[in-house]
Amino acid sequence: MLTPGGLARLGFADPGRALADVSAVAETGAATGSPVSAQVLAGILAQAADPDAALRTLARLQAARPSALHEPLRRVAAGDTDWLARIVAVAGMSTTLAEHLIHSSSLELLDSPLASVDSFTAELVHRRLVDPVAGARDLTAAHRVLVRCYRDCLVQLLARDLCAQWPMSAVSVELSHLADGVLAAGLMAIRQARPELADARLAVIALGKAGGLELNYVSDVDVVFVAGDEDTAAAGALAAALVRFISEPGAGGVLWSVDTALRPEGRAGPLVRSLASHLGYYQRWAQTWEFQALLKARPAAGDLALGESYVRALSPLVWSAAAREGFVTDVQAMRRRVEEHLAEQGPDRAARQLKLGRGGLRDVEFSVQLLQLVHGRGDVLVRQSATLPALEALATWGYVGTQDAAALGRAYRFLRTVEHRLQVRHLRRTAVLPDQAGERRIIARSLGMTADPDRSLNDRLADERREVRRIHEKLFYRPLLTAVARLAPGETRLTADAATERLRVLGYADPAAAWRHLQSLTSGVSRRAAIQRALLPVLLEWFATAPEPDGGLLAFRRLSDALGATPWYLRTLRDEGATAEHLAHVLAASRYATDLLMRAPESMAMLADEAALQPRSATELGGEAAEIVRRHMEPTAAVTALRALRRRELFRIAAAQVLGTPPMAPAGPALAALTDAVLAAALSGVSAALAADRGGALPTTVSIVALGRYGGGELGLGSDADVMFVHDPRPGADPAEAAAVATAVITTLRDLLHAPHTDPPLLLDADLRPDGRQGPLVRSIAATCAYYAEQASAWECQALLRARPLAGEELPAQLVAVIDRLRYPAGGVPLAAQREIRRLKARMEAERLPRGREPGRNLKLGPGGLSDVEWTVQMLQLSWAAAEPGLRVTGTLAALTAAREIGAVSAVDAQALTDAWLLASRLRDAHVHIRGRADPLTDSVPVGARELAAMGHLLGLPAGSSGDIWEQWRKVSRRAREVTERIFYHAAPMTLRRIPATPSRG
Amino acid sequence: MTFAAVDRQADFVLRTIEERDIRFVRLWFTDVLGFLKSVAVAPAELEAAFTEGIGFDGSAIEGFARVTESDMLVKPDPSTFQVLPWSNEGPGVARMFSDILMPDGSPSYADPRWVLRRTMARAAELGFTFYIHPEIEFYLFEGLPSETAVPVPVDHAGYFDQSPVGPGHDFRRQAILMLESMGISVEFSHHEAGPGQQEIDLRYADALSTADNIMTFRLIVKEVALRHGVRATFMPKPLTDHPGSGMHSHLSLFEGDRNAFYEPGAEFQLSEVARCFIAGLLQHAPEITAVTNQWVNSYKRLTSGAEAPAYACWGHNNRSALVRIPMYKPGKAPSTRVEYRALDAAANPYLAYAVLLAAGLRGIEGRYELPPGADDDVWSLTSVERAALGLAPLPASLAEAVAVMERSELVAETLGEHVFDFFLRNKQAEWQDYSRQVTRWERERYLPVL
Repeated sequence: MLTPGGLARLGFADPGRALADVSAVAETGAATGSPVSAQVLAGILAQAADPDAALRTLARLQAARPSALHEPLRRVAAGDTDWLARIVAVAGMSTTLAEHLIHSSSLELLDSPLASVDSFTAELVHRRLVDPVAGARDLTAAHRVLVRCYRDCLVQLLARDLCAQWPMSAVSVELSHLADGVLAAGLMAIRQARPELADARLAVIALGKAGGLELNYVSDVDVVFVAGDEDTAAAGALAAALVRFISEPGAGGVLWSVDTALRPEGRAGPLVRSLASHLGYYQRWAQTWEFQALLKARPAAGDLALGESYVRALSPLVWSAAAREGFVTDVQAMRRRVEEHLAEQGPDRAARQLKLGRGGLRDVEFSVQLLQLVHGRGDVLVRQSATLPALEALATWGYVGTQDAAALGRAYRFLRTVEHRLQVRHLRRTAVLPDQAGERRIIARSLGMTADPDRSLNDRLADERREVRRIHEKLFYRPLLTAVARLAPGETRLTADAATERLRVLGYADPAAAWRHLQSLTSGVSRRAAIQRALLPVLLEWFATAPEPDGGLLAFRRLSDALGATPWYLRTLRDEGATAEHLAHVLAASRYATDLLMRAPESMAMLADEAALQPRSATELGGEAAEIVRRHMEPTAAVTALRALRRRELFRIAAAQVLGTPPMAPAGPALAALTDAVLAAALSGVSAALAADRGGALPTTVSIVALGRYGGGELGLGSDADVMFVHDPRPGADPAEAAAVATAVITTLRDLLHAPHTDPPLLLDADLRPDGRQGPLVRSIAATCAYYAEQASAWECQALLRARPLAGEELPAQLVAVIDRLRYPAGGVPLAAQREIRRLKARMEAERLPRGREPGRNLKLGPGGLSDVEWTVQMLQLSWAAAEPGLRVTGTLAALTAAREIGAVSAVDAQALTDAWLLASRLRDAHVHIRGRADPLTDSVPVGARELAAMGHLLGLPAGSSGDIWEQWRKVSRRAREVTERIFYHAAPMTLRRIPATPSRG
Repeated sequence: MTFAAVDRQADFVLRTIEERDIRFVRLWFTDVLGFLKSVAVAPAELEAAFTEGIGFDGSAIEGFARVTESDMLVKPDPSTFQVLPWSNEGPGVARMFSDILMPDGSPSYADPRWVLRRTMARAAELGFTFYIHPEIEFYLFEGLPSETAVPVPVDHAGYFDQSPVGPGHDFRRQAILMLESMGISVEFSHHEAGPGQQEIDLRYADALSTADNIMTFRLIVKEVALRHGVRATFMPKPLTDHPGSGMHSHLSLFEGDRNAFYEPGAEFQLSEVARCFIAGLLQHAPEITAVTNQWVNSYKRLTSGAEAPAYACWGHNNRSALVRIPMYKPGKAPSTRVEYRALDAAANPYLAYAVLLAAGLRGIEGRYELPPGADDDVWSLTSVERAALGLAPLPASLAEAVAVMERSELVAETLGEHVFDFFLRNKQAEWQDYSRQVTRWERERYLPVL
């Protein structure tokens, strides 16, 4: 007995109503002598994509034409369910065709072999679509007849598609024939209605999917028209009438749109041209993409002989197009356009898009066409018009891998099938999965997914799209490797020429060199070569996202030459998820990080995950550094080991800048912590060794004061560290001996840290010490205090704002007392000191900027650059820090924030200074990444287009926006300069001093 | 499977060149100061020029240097293709306006045409297209006198005078024919108030076409003058005692086919959009004046009284106001517009229209409130009256204008940092150079008495 629950299990969404309807239909059968059990009926209906809709259609059919269902039901009663199953299938799939069945057609259609086993041939289509139109009273009547006949054909085709699992490609071919038939019927109808056009010779050429015999259920049909005579007036009128006749909706419904935009000159050009005129155009004016459109040209209707001669005449041009100058540029532009198009899709919408988007149908179609144009020039065997046959041909002749092609073909067929079902649902042109879960459920059921349909469909789509998403790797890159490696002698593969051609199209500036690198990396039968063959296709694709992929490949080769024999190296790349992708990006984008990596390849392990790229804490670093010193008694060995530690951590910091979000975040604090740890450990190691040499404790203790950007925690990549050394003699020690020992410690320390080595040196700059370069390298704390108390100049007081101890240490209290009085002067900066500081800065601007280069490009000393911001902030600190302890910090941004909070600077001005300071720091680091080392050039915004492109890539800007970097820097620095001039140079002297005097400490 | 529409006009150009036997094609572009530059290419190179542009060394062009060390590219805009009318005999010469690109194909920040394009794109984001109808004034002087002599006007006629044998009249006829042959429609032309002074009004067009047309116009007028043995000049104030030459520009915004300035029944039929736009023009007028009136000499016209606008005010048919609302003609909804009267014909039209549009858009986006209109002749008020009415003076000299502009984020953003910076420095240098001159006026006045 049927129950609502049973019906629900069968897939009915509204079982209550279904129960009544099923019984009603079954009773009709019984009444006419064909007893059909409701159970059986429900079972047949359950096969439909939308059983409820199918059932409703049966009920409505019965109401409209009571006898229509008699025969099908009788057949079911006799044990043959096929006919009814086809009715149900069509009615449960397409709402439009269900209406068609109810109102305009006969169910006998679905009892025909054409609904089960026979295909529509061209000749059959003619009989079904063109003949009925003959003798139509007028165009309106002809249109109505044509729509009805066309839909009859669709009903039969859909039944076969659904019930006989007709292959997608076969359905596409028939749809294309049907389109031909519609065109032919249209021509005939117009000729009948307008006798003056009866003799016009016109060939209709199908392009696009119709031309490739791979049409969808509903899509625009791309055509061009060829006139048989030089006077194209009549043919033109005929063509225009045809476009209107087919594209415009009539009383009977809509067919599809005829798209004529692919004709020479597009919408601006004449609709119809003679064959000679077509040829002339393509020989002289056509662009590469227009030839791509011609790949699929096929005579579809009208004068077929004329159409044949059109195709024959043009096809040589298509393939010689690839030899034209600028072809490679064009192809790259086409590829970029597609990729940009892909990037425009938001993630949410993209997931439901079958056609566009990464991993969509368009991606497959375009990639296959591109390969055809690249390789079809030299090889006639890959010249196919439809996507699937072309893919097969490319695979057969070695241009893409056989298995990759098969997998892609499978994915493509599936996506196209889903698209077909979407379109046939309401006969609408669409390629987007609907929002409503109910609709998606129907699509899923039509594909045979009855258990948890929505989920199953989503999962399967995700799988197939994943397959397609790697299409570039598979189609473009993997065959290159097969070609290079020359393994499996039996298999056809790319020739060297074809491979170089392809590398060029993919953006490699020097394909020959790239080819050599690939050869070196993958030739031979070693395990290493085998793994690299597997890795490189995807690496090559990642390299290609950088402006110059060549650099990435070269770096990879260097790395592999150095490391190939190391067992873990390739294993890491192969097995550790993100490592390979991160490595590819770092290699292609940063020479600085690459150089570090070459010297410390084991650092590559850090690239495995985001967590490993976090800078390590001062405590961790200090602990490891101290441990190193404990292990190595000998100071050279200790410092060498410390420098290795530093190199490894520098790579971590640099890689994090490249891979992080946002890219190029300032790394000042991490670099300062690293420098602190290395310096403290090296100092203690050197001191201990010297003590051991002397056979007893040293007569003094040396300590290091961090100054400048180092003191502020604002080091850039490759910056020197500004420091000052002081020493603290033991009570009773001989001052001269203590000074000599302290100097020896520092000299040794410096020599070891600066010594040439494969690890980068840690350069110490002690020029900010008392008396500058003229003064002794190190003084005792007492002497230092005396110097500052007696003869510190204004700028020295300013420099002391940045003085701080190394992490975990403290400055001697005596020193702190002296320098605090100087750097946080009670009552603000004396006028004379303000003037001195301003003059010094003005002189630096005039003298220190490199000659012959534009000041505005200089990130450090130029207008609005780092030094403008820092000096302005320091001026505020000197003025306010005595009264406001919040300003007693060494970092520029921290001081600026404090100054803003107490109202010493407006929020707008503070923002302008912060923006400039941050951008300058990021640009400077990015420049170091590109050049591989810090030098005077890296203090500037680059001028070369290549450097700017590389910089834009590092900063995560879209390609082709290199001018924006310069523009952005000028805007930001102009604002900061304006603030600097106002606050630093021109502030009324009193505003910087108007501070309630606090009692000074001394 | 169509790929983004490819410019069909390029094909049209290539064909026309073939059919009309064009041997040279001039690619025109404009430097930052508004001087027309040209590079000639053979037709064979044109196809590459359309797709990739043609490389040239821009370092010697005013305002182009220092954008990049590499060469720049000029890329012709095929929609501006015209055969030059003064080479009727022999093989033809044609011209196209061109955009300047960076080596990587991105637009150059130094290109004034891009400055205007960018600003128009911003307007388009708000749904507006910007139309302009310029009235261009200029003087015709006898012969080609030396630069130091006081020039002699070709006639002594006055406003709208029709002199039967006037050389100016015949001149205008020829100039207009030539303009029309280059696809530039002329609305109106007449003799202006000064002796030898002419006015020709171009038909309204979108801002980019208008700026292109003005560049062409200036060349054609000078070319025709040469043929008549006279000199045409767009110098803003060539004669001390006669009116200067301005370029009053009628501005309007359209939303699709609809004039966004028109609202039936409102005061002067001006919509809210129009009122905000005017408010934006007035509010930002001082800071954009350095661009709309870019020469030392421009300020001799602005401060000369009479019909020259020197105060940021607006009025209905008030000929002393900076912004004038022309009389509305019933049934002419599409022609509702506002006339900006400070601009002179020696401005760089791309930059000038860009800043005008940006100022107006700022008013729309910020919903600026329009101050009451001025009905009086502003010149006849006392300075205290003007202050009481809140009439801000426009800068009285190039130095003042540049100083105001230097602080303007609006101008910096509109011109782009590169052009902004170049422009400021160039104008500061111009003012300095001018300031150190000892003039005839000073010698005549001081030498006898001091």
